Amino acid sequence: MTGLTLKQVNKKFGEFPVIHEVDLSIDSGELVVFVGPSGCGKSTLLRLIAGLEDITSGEFWIGGQRADQLLAAARNIAMVFQSYALYPHMTVAENIGFPLKLAKLPRARIAEKVAAVGESLRLGALFDRKPGQLSGGQRQRVAIGRALARDPKVLLLDEPLSNLDAALRLEMRMELSRLHKQLAATMVYVTHDQVEAMTLADRIVIMREGKVEQVGTPLELYSRPANVFVAEFIGSPKMNVFSADLDRSGGNPVIRLSEQTALSAEGAAGSRVFAGIRPEHMTPVDDGGLRGVVTAVEHLGADTLVHFDSAFMEGGIARINGISGVRTGENIGFQVAAEQYHLFSENGNRL
Amino acid sequence: MTQMSKTTVAWYLLAPMMIIIVGVAGYPLIKTVYFSFTAAHLVSPDTSDQWVGLTNFLKALGNAKFRSSIGNTVYFVVFSVSAEILLGVLVALLLNQEFHGRTLLRALVILPLALPTVVNAMMWRLIYGPDFGALNALLTQVGLLAEYRSWLGDPSSALTMVALADIWKNFPLVALITLAALQTISRDHLEAALLDGANAWQRFWHVVFPAIVAPVSVALVLRTIEAFKVFDIIYVMTRGGPASSTKTVSFHVYQEAFAYMRVGSGASYALIVVLISAALIAVYLKLLQRQGETA
Ligand SMILES: Nc1ncnc2c1ncn2[C@@H]1O[C@H](COP(=O)(O)OP(=O)(O)OP(=O)(O)O)[C@@H](O)[C@H]1O
Ligand SMILES: [Mg+2]
Repeated sequence: MTGLTLKQVNKKFGEFPVIHEVDLSIDSGELVVFVGPSGCGKSTLLRLIAGLEDITSGEFWIGGQRADQLLAAARNIAMVFQSYALYPHMTVAENIGFPLKLAKLPRARIAEKVAAVGESLRLGALFDRKPGQLSGGQRQRVAIGRALARDPKVLLLDEPLSNLDAALRLEMRMELSRLHKQLAATMVYVTHDQVEAMTLADRIVIMREGKVEQVGTPLELYSRPANVFVAEFIGSPKMNVFSADLDRSGGNPVIRLSEQTALSAEGAAGSRVFAGIRPEHMTPVDDGGLRGVVTAVEHLGADTLVHFDSAFMEGGIARINGISGVRTGENIGFQVAAEQYHLFSENGNRL
Repeated sequence: MTQMSKTTVAWYLLAPMMIIIVGVAGYPLIKTVYFSFTAAHLVSPDTSDQWVGLTNFLKALGNAKFRSSIGNTVYFVVFSVSAEILLGVLVALLLNQEFHGRTLLRALVILPLALPTVVNAMMWRLIYGPDFGALNALLTQVGLLAEYRSWLGDPSSALTMVALADIWKNFPLVALITLAALQTISRDHLEAALLDGANAWQRFWHVVFPAIVAPVSVALVLRTIEAFKVFDIIYVMTRGGPASSTKTVSFHVYQEAFAYMRVGSGASYALIVVLISAALIAVYLKLLQRQGETA
């Protein structure tokens, strides 16, 4: 297995820039997830790595080898397509064995390899079926099997689970996670589902409009988002972000959310900052705290989502453990530990 | 009121059409079968009930001219259909590439198909013309031909030239069907094959070919049935000549029944042709059925 390095990679379709100055290095054996809103260039970046598109400028390295001029077939990178792209006229076994057949491996060797892959993906019983006779999850496993058959240096997956229903998605997520540990393979995984990203990734690359916004472990992104975009993208329900005026009367700039809470906004320029609080970090209190009026209550069982309007923000959400007796129209207060506030400068970057 | 079952309703709804079909197609067919066992002649009215048993069929099968017309037909079918398939698939592959003017070219390719056969035949007769024909002019000007030839007047070339005119008109059908099939191939499949290490030929063989083989074989059978029945283009271009060199089975039937007015014997020829067509149609249905199963 091998690492990947991208240096100042740009991609334009005609005059239209899609990938902008991407610097990224992926370690050998790492599972990296590209995540971001639709159209931000995740698939394009993946296709650049696979060699299905040429980079417009910059450098791409596979291990120690410069690879941006290398043909797709020579990169030894396998890819699992969102549509699975199984060959409809071939059986499951033939699909998995196809890359090996092209590599002119002896027949016995192919059979051996196909059997091994089939076993690790629990496909044995399906070997003689055609893709048309498989369920979505089974097709998905065959597609992964075909990608793994020739021991690629890197495995790319473009939204591999998005065609599956929720239960199957969970199951396949575990399966992929297990596979990654078992193979110790370098994997790049594209999704726009932040839950998938959080649960699978060693590191997450968050993209927006062709740029990398932040790279880090799931916990880093969760606890120290680099900017407002990342802060709002990671976490569900998303972080409450609101703007607050800076008070410079006491020397160091602070923001005042209520009489009791003044937060230091050291290093902030200008007159305003953005403050963020995750819904799960808001604890209801009877007196004081951040006050607001409940506009809606959603009972999820394990916890309760309380929607509220307040002086500092409209349309806020708090997540309260267990079943809460809060009612719509009630006046409510929340307590938030000082270290749970996220502060961002006016241009959106973390202070 | 009792409710009619779905099948009863279906039969009621189908009945008018079936009566028309039986009237228009069934009656003449039965009549043809009847005539084939008689000595019916167009201008001698009392011959139509002269029962002659299998005589017509035995004569037909023993007739050297009929057998040579079968030979001509087979040549015409094999030559024109294989050329149409080859050309059609190649053109479809070309039109499936991305290039400037693709849409225009796609529209142009359909043109011959839109031409009535008779117009096409007249056009090619002009092109092949022995005195002022464009083909002669072209070939002599590029130096491939020393002097003007009578392409359709020469028994050794006439049938081939007619077939070429037919190919020009009908290859677009194959191209169209193939192009439609090519467009159903997903880019993912081709890219997956690329990443699996397949070169251009392997991508064609393992991804493209399986996707077009069924539609192309349907086109092949359809074209075979059509080519087997070929009549109008020959009627306009050569009338079966010179020296019967372009006489196909349909033309033979036409001559027997309408030029020589031997309706009884003509009917027996027609039935033999129908039987051969039926066999081809059976192949066609079989293919369609198989395609339905794999789709
Ligand atoms: N072949 C192409 N030609 C021109 N523009 C393209 C091409 N492929 C992609 N784009 C554009 O590049 C941008 C990024 O596309 P890409 O498919 O990488 O997005 P994505 O992040 O994968 O989105 P999604 O989550 O919807 O799959 C989009 O604006 C898209 O329209
Ligand atoms: Mg995508």
